[in-house]
Amino acid sequence: MQGLNILLQPNVFMQLTINGVAMGMIYALMAMGLILLIRAIGVMNFAQGELLMLGAFITWGLTYQVKLPFVLMIPAAMLCFAFVGVVFMFVAYWPLRTASYPTATVISTMGAAMVIREIATITWGSLPLVSAPLVKGVVRVGSLRLQYQYLLTIAIGAVLIFLVFVLFEKLYAGRIMQAAAQDKYAAELLGIPTVLTTAATYIIVVTLASVGGYMIAPVFLVNVTLGTLQLRAFAGVVTGGFGSVKGAIVGSLFIGLVESYSSTFTTTYKDAVVFLVLIVVLLFRPQGLFGERVADKA
Amino acid sequence: MLKIANLHAYYGSIEALKGIDIEIAPGVVTCLIGSNGAGKTTLLKAISGMIRRTGSIVFDERNELIGESPTRIARRSIVHVPEGRHIFPGLSVEENLEVGTIAWHGFFGRKPYETEKRSVFDLFPRLEERRGQLGWSLSGGEQQMLAIGRALMARPKLLMLDEPSMGLAPVIVSDLFRKIVEINKLGIPILLVEQNARLALEISDFAYVLDQGRVRIEGKAKDLRTDPRVQEAYLGRFAGKTQPN
Ligand SMILES: Nc1ncnc2c1ncn2[C@@H]1O[C@H](COP(=O)(O)OP(=O)(O)O)[C@@H](O)[C@H]1O
Ligand SMILES: [Mg+2]
Repeated sequence: MQGLNILLQPNVFMQLTINGVAMGMIYALMAMGLILLIRAIGVMNFAQGELLMLGAFITWGLTYQVKLPFVLMIPAAMLCFAFVGVVFMFVAYWPLRTASYPTATVISTMGAAMVIREIATITWGSLPLVSAPLVKGVVRVGSLRLQYQYLLTIAIGAVLIFLVFVLFEKLYAGRIMQAAAQDKYAAELLGIPTVLTTAATYIIVVTLASVGGYMIAPVFLVNVTLGTLQLRAFAGVVTGGFGSVKGAIVGSLFIGLVESYSSTFTTTYKDAVVFLVLIVVLLFRPQGLFGERVADKA
Repeated sequence: MLKIANLHAYYGSIEALKGIDIEIAPGVVTCLIGSNGAGKTTLLKAISGMIRRTGSIVFDERNELIGESPTRIARRSIVHVPEGRHIFPGLSVEENLEVGTIAWHGFFGRKPYETEKRSVFDLFPRLEERRGQLGWSLSGGEQQMLAIGRALMARPKLLMLDEPSMGLAPVIVSDLFRKIVEINKLGIPILLVEQNARLALEISDFAYVLDQGRVRIEGKAKDLRTDPRVQEAYLGRFAGKTQPN
């Protein structure tokens, strides 16, 4: 097969690996957010891709419309992400949290996705917008040419993931958030303000996805269709075993790599390849690559 | 230290407490007994602010708790150990204890809590042995110790325990009740809810019998132990003789 021959050339292979890991990082940022929300409020968020898209638009707007310099753009963007997080929580989740149908909150995330798409289209139009890479150019390692943007994406993704782990595993505040996610009733009895911990979770989730959108903007164009990337994050979550943050990260990187390698065979059917691999994984390991079986947890 | 007057509590439109008057004296163990569905758990929830209620609950003779949120009430150091323990399954024993400090520690605080942890470990050495183990992997007795230990981390001024004996073997229960007496000797007033009336009356100073959302009988625990109405309804016919629960 010609595709395989191309893939196995060391340079091509290295480059596709870097690209795959970079894309995997973007999916991982979304996938991590999915798991955090499932844990904290028990809801699968179908607007995760739209949050990424909104992050791309917001940072584009701050850079090219408001024309903020980079050092001001970053804090301004963070404030916007936090604002989006809080609004998203109070509109799409809070009023429905006591609804008698638990699915109500899931459906409302689908509604939120549509609303975000419409808001983006009305605000920024439906034509794709061009965003310059953070650092232009390529690094040469031997005969290898690696784009800075991809390397930067990997670095920033890794730093964010590290920060989230530090928050939840090492800091008191993170411990409190975990407790509130695990047992809301007990948390409230101890005096944990669960509104605040939930809001903090939403802010983190939106920030993760939005930074993903910011990093990916120069690779693709800024467009409402960026939202469809959430399918890859779902695939990452499922591959990783649904429920563990670590699994979701590794699963997302795996999906990124599969997608990247498959581009030497086909670009038209990339989506199909990703899902074919997902199905194969699930056939042989229904609990996901890294999941424990439910029985092990009980 | 806690004075409850004409307390009503509601689940939606269902009235679960129908005018309760109770007084909890400082430093003693007060118990609430009554059959399943009498409203014991609801009363604790009404005190800790977890349910809609009307009437009056005055803490320390000046603070009206009706209208206050659970967070606010927890900050007054009123700690409710719920029925079924509700420990955090994915946190270790030590982390569960740490979370117990939130009411006085604050979200972003950096106050030390080593002293509190030390005294919990001294009271329940078993918890120290298991300090790194995750909550879900503990036995029922250990989970109950952890739930109480976590509450002690909150520096309680009033400790409310809901059915601590539930589902535990008799030997473990008598151990646990000795610990409860020990905690009370430290000067912490305790409001104990139990279906196991005999056990509760043994370690209590004062008792209330609840039935269908109302107080039916109240008095000194030692008087209630010999009260024929209590014996008949809650202690079984062989009252006076020791009876496994
Ligand atoms: N979540 C609830 N929704 C509606 N009714 C409830 C709820 N919890 C308890 N009740 C009712 O309130 C009454 C008192 O219950 P509870 O306080 O749990 O009793 P106890 O703790 O004494 O066994 C019972 O009649 C029970 O059916
Ligand atoms: Mg009860």
